[in-house]
Formats: sequence, structure tokens, C-alpha cells
Amino acid sequence: MPVTGATAGGVPVAELVRAVARTVPWRALAAGGGLGLLIAAVPRLTGGDAGGWPALTALRAGALAFALGAAFWLDDPARHTTAVVPARRALRHGLRLALLAPVAALWWTAALLLVPRPLRPPAAGVTVEAATALALALTGAAFAVHRREAARPGQAVAGFLLVTAVLAPLLCPEDWALFVTPEDESWAVAHDRWTVLLGALLLAGALCLTEPARRYGRRGLRSPSGTSGPSRG
Amino acid sequence: MTPTVSASGLSLHFGRTRALDDVSLRLSPGVTGLLGPNGAGKTTLLRVLATAVPADRGAFTVLGHDPATSRGRQEARRRLGYLPQAPGFHPDFSAFEFVDYVAILKELTDRTARHREVRRVLDEVGLGDVRGKRLKKLSGGMRQRVALAAALVGDPEFVVLDEPTVGLDPEQRMRFRELIAHAGEGRTVLLSTHQTEDVAMLCHRVVVLADGTVRFDGTPAELTARAAGRVWSSTERETGAKAGWRTGTGSFRNVGDPPAGAELLAPTLEDGYLLTLDGAGAEVTA
Repeated sequence: MPVTGATAGGVPVAELVRAVARTVPWRALAAGGGLGLLIAAVPRLTGGDAGGWPALTALRAGALAFALGAAFWLDDPARHTTAVVPARRALRHGLRLALLAPVAALWWTAALLLVPRPLRPPAAGVTVEAATALALALTGAAFAVHRREAARPGQAVAGFLLVTAVLAPLLCPEDWALFVTPEDESWAVAHDRWTVLLGALLLAGALCLTEPARRYGRRGLRSPSGTSGPSRG
Repeated sequence: MTPTVSASGLSLHFGRTRALDDVSLRLSPGVTGLLGPNGAGKTTLLRVLATAVPADRGAFTVLGHDPATSRGRQEARRRLGYLPQAPGFHPDFSAFEFVDYVAILKELTDRTARHREVRRVLDEVGLGDVRGKRLKKLSGGMRQRVALAAALVGDPEFVVLDEPTVGLDPEQRMRFRELIAHAGEGRTVLLSTHQTEDVAMLCHRVVVLADGTVRFDGTPAELTARAAGRVWSSTERETGAKAGWRTGTGSFRNVGDPPAGAELLAPTLEDGYLLTLDGAGAEVTA
């Protein structure tokens, strides 16, 4: 049809950015981010007498709260209505992530600054930890969309993230300790592991941004009345 | 004439559930109805043909493009519209904004032309007057029409409609029939429905799907003809009938193998459909 003037990659990106910015769940992110800042501010609010470990724990918990909010970032109630459009999923998800990136950077800077300087853990290390938590949330959501066409994967992903955050420190073998303190001599090694984990998650996330041209594995897609259709998650 | 869709041997399993089994069909312009009971595989077939989900086996082309390849899928998507069974929306968007959003995703690049096109499809589905209203303030039937407008924006050549009349009141359903009939002029429309009246009134062709396989593929008249001589009236419930029910006049309408001397009635499409599902003469006729 003549009005399209469509060519490969012919999506009007500027207009798409404006539209996508209205479709992303800002409220969930604001809730997670607000809670995260509140948690990160606890050492400052309590006078910071307890020392460095509570400040590190507060910062980690704050980063987790932000990641929980970000787990909803790929929620799209109109996913099935817009399932078969030429604009690629990678572009649409990429735009969402591009919108999130500066917000996440600003939020993390604010969270770090909320921790009193003498109590603040090494910024590079905790930044990798926070980025990994965020990457886990987003990769989980991208995976749910990739495999199950979930319209609203956020809730399930947030639950998974929370369980993982609780169980990981308990179940991680000592040789693979991740949640160490700056005073611990394995701080640097632990953050090498965090970096590897972050890299693996980013790679997996990137793979999940594509749409499969052929089916693989088994997917439990079920419609309300039949055997098919997208999951309503 | 080159068919809009040509599919052969499509199969799809979900775990142990066979959703589609060796489905072959060709679709050409006009409205084709897809009938079948719950769990027959209708939505799966529609999703496969709309390129929303790949098949396990088999091959098909949409408007000459092979959706098994990334490029072919994208080319096909440029020329098709899809209304899913349970369309979702961004509730804070107005009808215009939502259809415009879909139009952007469909690569309608020129803003002025795109807005003209969005207004056109909203007018076409009878929502021109409420295009500025938030979707959360529209009724279910109106939202369904917004979804239809989203499927039709960009004037696609192949339109896939998955049970568009579910949950609509009779007046809205009539309105939707008009819209679908209009959409089928010059386009290929594949319409999944439970309503045999929709098929009888709209479709030039009907496909009956059961257990993931095509049980019938022909015209509505041919499907109706399957019940010729197999619908009869009686004063008592006939235990030998495949299906039977008391009508408003008090007599029973029976479908199946009539006893000798039974008072035969004119069959309907629904009778033919019931007998096809029952397995009698379940071979594909076309």
C-alpha cells in the first residue's frame, strides 16, 4: 500500500521512541527505585554508626529493589495485538532498554551518593553487582517473552529474582562466594565472578531479544479455550 | 491465480499435545471461515499462518514469502494484519494513539499519510467519533473494533481474525459481520469462529478443524449438503440421533441417520458441521 513507503528497517524510530516511552511501566520502576533509594539511605538516616557491612547490605538490597521494579520493564499488555508487525522485537526491546539505561545510571549514582562516604564500598565492585541484578531481571523478562510470548512476565520474574537473591548467598559454594565484604581478601576474585556472570547474562539477554524462526524445545502455550495461543502471563 | 497462503504438512506439538497434524490448505481472496470445537487447533493454525509462532514441521508461504526465514517473515508481516483471540491494549492510549502506535510498528513512515490512514480505519470500524477517547473508557465491543482497526491499518492483503465476535452482543456482532464482509472485499481474510451463522453469512469457503487435522475444506453449501437427508423432525426424542433438541414448536429436530419414513427437514450449515465433527464422512472434500 502506498502510504507505507516501507523499506527494510523502515520504522520511524523517533516516533516509536515517543510511543514506547508511554508503554513502559514507569510506575513499577518508580516503586522499585523509590524503595531502593529508601533502603540505600538507611545507613545515612541511622547515623552510620553500624559500620561498613550494613551500608554494603543496604546498597545491595537497594539495587535488588530497583531490579525488582525493572523486572516489569518488558511488560506489554498489547504484546499479542502487536505480535506480527514488521518492526523487529529486537528494535522494540532495544528501545525499552535504551530508555531504561540513563534512568538506571542516574538512580545508581543517587543510591551510591546516599551512602556516607566513609561507609561507601568500592564503587566499581558494587556497581558490577547492581548491574548483574538488573541484567538478571531484564534477561529473565526477555527469556519469558522469547520462550512463552508472555505479555506480562514482570511478576513471575520479580518472584524468581527475589528467591534467587535470598537463596544465592545461602547456596553458593564457598569457593564461589559472591557476597563478600571489601575487607575480605576474595573481594577482587568475587567481582571477577560477578563480571563473568554479568557478561553471561548480557549475552543470554541479547539472544532472547530475537524472535525464533523455528521452534525448539517444548513450549507450554495454552489459550483459555484451546491448546494454543500465548500464555497470559 | 497465486494463492495468498499456501501451506503443506503443517504440524505443531505442545509437549505431548498435538495441536496441528499435517495441515495443508491454500487461501485466496475472500473470507474463509475456520470452524472447530475448543482445542481443535484453530488458534494455533491462525498463529502459525500469521507468523506469530513457527510450526514444528511443514512449509508455507504468505503472499509468496517464506516465514521460516527472518527476511521472509518480515516481508510477510508487512502485508498482513492480525487480530488475536484476546487482544491487549495500553489502556491510557486513546483509540487514535493506539492504532497510530501499531501503524508506526507497521512501518508507516510518513506522519501525515499515517494519520490519514489511522483516521480512515477508525472511521471504517465506526469509531471515528470516539477516536480521542482513552481505551480504558471504551466498551469491550469498541475495544474489539479498535483491535480490528489495528489489524486493518496499512491495508494488509491478508487478515487473520481469531474469534473476533466472542463476547459481543447481537447488535455488535452484526456490526462486526459488516466490517468483516467489507474487509474481505479484495483481501484474503481468515476468520476463526464458533458461530456457524458467521460462516454461513460471510464466508465463501469453510475449513473445519478437529484434533489438529482438517476434517472439511469446501464451500458452506457443500458443508450444508453433508447433512442433506440426515435432519428430521419427530414428536419424541430420537435415541438414535447424533444430536437432537426440542424446538420452539415442541417438536424435536434430530441430526444423524433418520429412521425410515421420517419427516426430513432442510439442513443448515450447523447440521453439516455437527455431522462432520461426528466423524461421518470426515474426509476432506476439496
